[in-house]
Amino acid sequence: MHPADEALVEQYMERGDEHAFRLLVERHQERVYGYLLGMVKDPAVADDLFQDTFIRVLKALNRDRASYTKQGRFLGWVMRIARNAALDHLRARKKWYDVPDPEDMNWWDALPDLSESSDEQLNRSQQADMLAECIDALPPEQREVLLLRHESDLTFREIAELTECSINTALGRMRYALLNLRKMLETTELNHVTHADA
Amino acid sequence: MENRKKDILLHLYGEASEGADLHGLLKDPELRSEHAALSEAKFRLDHRSRKRPDASVIDGIFAATPGAVTEPGRRAGDRPARSRPTHLRKVLLPALSIAAAVLFGVAVGWFAAPSSPDKAPALSDGGGAPDLVPPETLYRFVPPTTNGIRPTGTLSWDDADELRQVYRRIESMQPKSSLSWDEPPVPLESLPVGRSGGILPAGSNR
Repeated sequence: MHPADEALVEQYMERGDEHAFRLLVERHQERVYGYLLGMVKDPAVADDLFQDTFIRVLKALNRDRASYTKQGRFLGWVMRIARNAALDHLRARKKWYDVPDPEDMNWWDALPDLSESSDEQLNRSQQADMLAECIDALPPEQREVLLLRHESDLTFREIAELTECSINTALGRMRYALLNLRKMLETTELNHVTHADA
Repeated sequence: MENRKKDILLHLYGEASEGADLHGLLKDPELRSEHAALSEAKFRLDHRSRKRPDASVIDGIFAATPGAVTEPGRRAGDRPARSRPTHLRKVLLPALSIAAAVLFGVAVGWFAAPSSPDKAPALSDGGGAPDLVPPETLYRFVPPTTNGIRPTGTLSWDDADELRQVYRRIESMQPKSSLSWDEPPVPLESLPVGRSGGILPAGSNR
């Protein structure tokens, strides 16, 4: 039986057990890294932000443990720190607000162009790349909710709290994210088949 | 309808409340197609391979904060017991504090006192208007002489010529004035004017 997150935090806080903290990092690495990578779309930057997130976590635990206990679930608290790190980076790069308004966005222009590989069978890796590109093409708010739900495994209530919106808004964003994603995937695959036939 | 579409989403992600009935929702064709579309996209996302950072990234966390985690027992256990207060801390320090406070008080008193009796404030400076001096300042601390007693046995201000002059002037003015504190107020014009006594007009030379 694996120890709960809270028990590992306790071990680290009470006994300075590095192994306990390492277990926490390894347990949640995919949830945190998947979100960060989806947000910044650059593996090297995601690596840096991942490291920065857990360094901030360590410092926060050592400086003011209350900031963790007030936030409840460990993962939710870590994701808040990860989100702040990602938004800091995006603001610094001025990319976050450079994304076109979702109302004006032409989805079909943003679809990934897979015509160059049209004469090959779509393998698993290509499908994954295609899915990733479609996710990247989603409006930021929808993309973030989708990443927090699928990569970080947060509940919609936790997502609403983290992104400071109502749960209905979070659900609406998720719904549109899934529907838009499905449309984009269908169109991309259709384009691929058309190119292959030609 | 919008709320029921959100209910479908909650069902898909296992977050619907216990009383919610998915089968009832799916009887509606529109909701059924919504469910199919959402399920398809979710299926693709669920089968997506997950990514993780390089192992060196995790090592870097601990390398960047060495003091935070590499000291087992850093927060462990209770702090060591404090030693009993020593004789120095228990007796000598309070005594020294009291002595320092007394010395400070004496030093303040010494420097607040005038350096010589000659600098005591005068009640008047000859023919000019008398200085307004608070009465308490008349009783100034006079540094003791070697045997602690003044040679004359009188206070420094008691034998001053100026004091005697002021007293004589008051005595000489008293009979010239017909007013006393008990009488009702009278206009100034009714008072005697002139050099012989009483009120002097403004601007006139004495």
